[in-house]
Amino acid sequence: MHRIAFVALPLLSWAVASGLGNEPPKGSTTPAAVDFARDVQPLLAKHCVSCHGPDKQKGGLRLDRSADALTGGDTGKAVVPGKPADSLLLKKITSKDAKERMPPRDPLSAAQIRTLSAWIEAGAKWPATETIADKHWSFQPVKRPPIPVSREPKASVAPNPIDAFIVAKLSDNGLSLLPESDRRTLIRRLKFDLLGLPPTPEEVDAFVNAKDANAYEKLVDKYLASPHYGERWARHWLDAVRFAESNGFETNQPRPNAYHYRDYVIKSLNLDKPFDQFVREQLAGDTLGADAATGFLVGGAWDEVKSPDITLTLNQRADELHDMIGTTGSTFLGLTVACARCHAHKFDPISQLDYYGFKAVFAGVRHGERLVRTDAGIAIAKEAERLREQLSELEGKFTALEPHADPVATETRRTAVNPRLNTERFKPVKAKFVRFVVFESSSAEPCIDELEVFASGPKPVNVALASSGAKAVSSGNFPNAPSLHSLAFLHDGKYGNGRSWISNKPGRGWVQIELAEPTLIDRIVWGRDREGKYLDRLPTRYRIDVSTDRESWSVIASSDDRTPFAEGASAIPNGLTVAERAAWLKLTKQIADLRKQLTDVARGQMAYAGKLMAPEATYRLHRGDATQKKEVVAPGVLSELGPKLHIPENATDPDRRAALAKWITSPAHPLTARVIVNRLWQHHFGTGIVDTPSDFGKNGARPSHPELLDWLASELVVPANPDRKVGGNAPPGPGGPDTPQPWSLKHIHRLIVTSATYRQSSAANAAGLAKDAQSRLLWRYPPRRVEAEPLRDAVLFVSGKLDLKMGGPGFDLFEPNGNYVKVYTPKKQFGPTEFRRMIYQFKPRMQLDDTFGAFDCPDAGQIAPKRNVSTTPLQALNLLNSTFMLQQAGHFAERVEKDAGADIGAQVKRVFALAFQRAPSNKELAAATKLVKDHGLAALCRAVLNANEFVFVD
Amino acid sequence: MLTSRRDFLAYASTGLGGIALTALLAEQGLLANDKIPLRPDIRPDSPLIARKPHFAPKAKRVLAVFCSGAVSHVDTFDHKPELVKRDGQPLPGGEKLVTFQGAQGNLVKPLWAFKPRGQSGKMVSDLLPNLATLADEMCFVHSMTAKSNTHGPGENQMSTGFTLDGFPSTGAWVSYALGSENRDLPAFVAIPDPRGVPQVGPNNWGSAFLPGVFQGTPFTADKPLANLNRPASISEKTDADTRDFLKFLNDDHAKTRASDSQLSARIASYEMAAKMQLRAAEVADLSKEPRAIHDAYGTGDKDKWKSGFARNCLLARRLLERDVRFVQLFNGSYAMGEGVGNWDGHKTLKSQYETHAAILDRPLAALLTDLKRTGLLKDTLVVWVTEFGRMPTFQKGASGRDHNPKGFTVWLAGAGVKRAHSYGATDEFGYQAAEKIATIYDLHATILHILGLNHERLSFYHNGIERRLTDVHGEVLEGVLA
Repeated sequence: MHRIAFVALPLLSWAVASGLGNEPPKGSTTPAAVDFARDVQPLLAKHCVSCHGPDKQKGGLRLDRSADALTGGDTGKAVVPGKPADSLLLKKITSKDAKERMPPRDPLSAAQIRTLSAWIEAGAKWPATETIADKHWSFQPVKRPPIPVSREPKASVAPNPIDAFIVAKLSDNGLSLLPESDRRTLIRRLKFDLLGLPPTPEEVDAFVNAKDANAYEKLVDKYLASPHYGERWARHWLDAVRFAESNGFETNQPRPNAYHYRDYVIKSLNLDKPFDQFVREQLAGDTLGADAATGFLVGGAWDEVKSPDITLTLNQRADELHDMIGTTGSTFLGLTVACARCHAHKFDPISQLDYYGFKAVFAGVRHGERLVRTDAGIAIAKEAERLREQLSELEGKFTALEPHADPVATETRRTAVNPRLNTERFKPVKAKFVRFVVFESSSAEPCIDELEVFASGPKPVNVALASSGAKAVSSGNFPNAPSLHSLAFLHDGKYGNGRSWISNKPGRGWVQIELAEPTLIDRIVWGRDREGKYLDRLPTRYRIDVSTDRESWSVIASSDDRTPFAEGASAIPNGLTVAERAAWLKLTKQIADLRKQLTDVARGQMAYAGKLMAPEATYRLHRGDATQKKEVVAPGVLSELGPKLHIPENATDPDRRAALAKWITSPAHPLTARVIVNRLWQHHFGTGIVDTPSDFGKNGARPSHPELLDWLASELVVPANPDRKVGGNAPPGPGGPDTPQPWSLKHIHRLIVTSATYRQSSAANAAGLAKDAQSRLLWRYPPRRVEAEPLRDAVLFVSGKLDLKMGGPGFDLFEPNGNYVKVYTPKKQFGPTEFRRMIYQFKPRMQLDDTFGAFDCPDAGQIAPKRNVSTTPLQALNLLNSTFMLQQAGHFAERVEKDAGADIGAQVKRVFALAFQRAPSNKELAAATKLVKDHGLAALCRAVLNANEFVFVD
Repeated sequence: MLTSRRDFLAYASTGLGGIALTALLAEQGLLANDKIPLRPDIRPDSPLIARKPHFAPKAKRVLAVFCSGAVSHVDTFDHKPELVKRDGQPLPGGEKLVTFQGAQGNLVKPLWAFKPRGQSGKMVSDLLPNLATLADEMCFVHSMTAKSNTHGPGENQMSTGFTLDGFPSTGAWVSYALGSENRDLPAFVAIPDPRGVPQVGPNNWGSAFLPGVFQGTPFTADKPLANLNRPASISEKTDADTRDFLKFLNDDHAKTRASDSQLSARIASYEMAAKMQLRAAEVADLSKEPRAIHDAYGTGDKDKWKSGFARNCLLARRLLERDVRFVQLFNGSYAMGEGVGNWDGHKTLKSQYETHAAILDRPLAALLTDLKRTGLLKDTLVVWVTEFGRMPTFQKGASGRDHNPKGFTVWLAGAGVKRAHSYGATDEFGYQAAEKIATIYDLHATILHILGLNHERLSFYHNGIERRLTDVHGEVLEGVLA
């Protein structure tokens, strides 16, 4: 520091006058060179960084990295190059006020102050030093490493680069690969792994007896081409992206058309859609003809409980976007970008500004449904139009059976009101205003799910719809659950409790519709819940008035001529002939069926894929507090990692997301390819090469085989290795005639599962266990328990009940329930509807299946890139005693009786073949035969479905 | 207490992530020894085996009573003479205040009179007359604050420390840290209200990213543990022979795979399941309890909600007696109409609270008394919570109080905490915490502390972060410790 002692600046004289320094300023005007690395950085590191560094950023300031230091903190620029006097840093370290002065405890010496001042004066140069971005392994470009030369060639299997990497590391540790597994084990492993199902006894026999040298490769091809591959691997992806089909939080309402995203993932995987395209579509599918893909963005929880409280509203929005930011970072980049919400990332080079740059990328995305354009769109619209015409005709016939309302009648000629549907027929009357006044309800605040007003004429149309220009007002609206009950839902053309109006007063309230123009009307139709789930809140005493001027009103219908309300009373109009009555019943059913078809058709066009709108302004938030806005932040990508990319400040919402997607999928990005090949490896072997699959940052795990990871990443993006497909007809990739297209996941799968490493035995040996108990070095194939989904699928598969229908809305394992806070009561009865693969279970957030949830199923509250595997007595109880398992044990027994006939020996053999893909030993045969003789075949089936051999894969 | 790096490495579950992190932190000197993450050593074959705490504990187990819906502190435990005096006047500064449901009416005095109770003379309202008699046992925290004013996130935060979905519950953290003293019953039992599950349902007792073995097992006195019992269609003999055969299959299978602890763990889990079938049935069988106990709890009350909750309280005592580590007892369910299923008294607080208090008061008082009588209170920590408080005003145009996360009351009792003590205070109206402001993080830190756990060290690596129950916050409320 000697040299520095001579550095002085006139500008600094006030600093010294503060009495902090020991040495008087010298009058020199020639600033001597200050060396940042030697003089400045150590000073900052010693005196400032403990409060203004990676750990803490007091005042939002960080002084350990150039970008942050030059940006400054909450109160302004810390450093203005060339202008020490304008630099807050200098003001702070020289302040006279002890409360203001920095560092708070030990003030800097005059010499130190002069050093900093001189450095700023000289332009505050912060030469590139080695940062984490320069040093950390995963932030370096992927370089294709040379393939290690094998020291112990294995003749039995064709050379596979994966084996070369694995064997090299094994031999360094005095270990080696085991011989190939027997074919029975291999086919069971492969099919569970690729398709999530056990092999049939016939498949096993064919494979075991195949003479073809390429029999295994052919099997791999067959399974990779199977549509069940997409179903199996979509589950892994959906875990990593926290996909669920309900909102979470208090109400946890279902998202009935969120399944489109699941179907999209399954289909994309089956098509072997290039991974870069898969990523781009999930971030910006709306620009790429893949609307459902953006279900990714809004796959997380969403709090639908809204409030006039602005702080709550701001926090809710911030949390929504936080979820999108965090999931995008973890899923595609293996980075915990979400950690930079309140301050710069503690470990990785991600600044708070980077976080808000990401936030601005998603600032146009909101939770909700969106019309999705599919190939089937036009056909669907035509179909809907056809159904609507049919419906209108049927309703006309139906209405004709309904007696006219007579507001002055004294006898009760009409039926009592019912929750589903009530029709008011009257002589045509001109109306501009229609008012429905409730005086009494069956319970609580009255509810109307839809108020329809029909124009008189041969083709009656509902003129009350908001889309026809009608407007609604009311006496008051129910304050809770506005996403289910609001005035707008009174005339939105959608039925059911979830789209209804409720009054704010118990037993009373009114609504009024102002039609677009005065219209001759002759019918009004209303209900409390046309879907029939709700029977409460029904208006039981009411009056309907019409007016053309809102001054004079006339009553056109009321409850006075209806039979008094009684729960469960017949809805069939009084006074019908037998024939009319039959026609009424038939029409009612036809109309209900048609309505359901229409709903299904309409629902097919909407998907929970996010509402996309103009981006709202994004601000950096002080300590992440949604109420403490700082400067406006433009959309951006991470500034210190990956390729450089600038997103224009005024970019549109789709352009922002498309730009981010482009950046993530740049072949030069160091993370994207590494992260996805690691995910594939993880699911093939149970553990990733990096054991923290969604965190490749400094706080993540180091790779067990870094060269192999890079080789795989490189092979994904620039494939150079021939695809060992036996009979494929895919076009050759750019790497040569046998190489696949870039970013092909199936290519990586094929490389992995055809390796000797994958095919080796899972038997343990003392040497391996002693050196590497967790088998991370892969001296054996690590055996493991199958997850909840393949376990349930396997149970259904062997019982013969599995329905392999693909796609579409899922099946529900919970009883229907329409409370505004949805109550999830597990079903206790199961039929064919529930016998589909578990990937198609309607997956509510935070609610696990009663039987299989205990097998470490993720709850989709947060991302689950890696599942736990725990073993509990509750799992045992579920598999032993649940209704589902007992039912399947019964089906399994029936199936075996059918397959094997009455001979108990043959039955036992069939049970073993189906469940374990092998014959029983003599001892097993004897014991099993006794069990069947004593207690029936279902007892054996129940035992076998609980066996370790059934739930583990070697 | 384990402090050295070597001890830590031996103790921590191995995983490259953990080691890398520790090494990194040590390298940067970022962590003092007392902040190094401590991950319990979970043995896959016996994940629930009892584990030592970080330091000598004051309590061995916890009873957490959760009143769902947000109990009004100003009508129960937080006595505010000024609120009585200013009844009917506006809350100063309240004109522009927008709370969860909107605008405020005037200040409204407690709807039940407060009276001095016990030897301490602690003022408690008449709403809960039986609990009030136990005021000398309680340590009140009157200065609680919550992060959210909405039930979902609020209930999440009280049970998991985070307002978002998907974080491990307090009970899951505790069973992860300490395992179980009882191998035949779950380590953590959640007892939902007879009316239904609380507002965020299983997120109150979920394990989230902790291994599933640590999640709470929900059952009540009237709804036994799911799938516990042998189905009626299967005879005892069939069941026994089937399970013997299963054991034979599994043993045979394991012979050639002798080193695999996953297999032996699963075999052991079936043996534990058999024991649990006996013990869980026994614990839920209240018939052997003496008449006087049934009467004290009110299990025979004609009102099914009252008697149902009373049976749950009695079940809670029986679980604690059998050394279940963490029992979470709910009073109040999901919303089934405003203020119907739980303590959410927005519009007609008086009548709603009379209903709920009548369900809560007698059985819970009997449970506390019973814990004291049996000596369980000596090493059991009781924590009574609700997700947030309510406003000292009525809502505009209504006769109830809106949500208020700025100040509310919880109380603790039993092992490790002061008796007849009040910690912290709200302002003169009970609107905002004003003295010794406490957060839910602080409450959680305190619970862990009493169990001998350092909340800054008990952690689990998930997606890039050493997660803690208390996130990066929390200070033990020294003032409540005995």
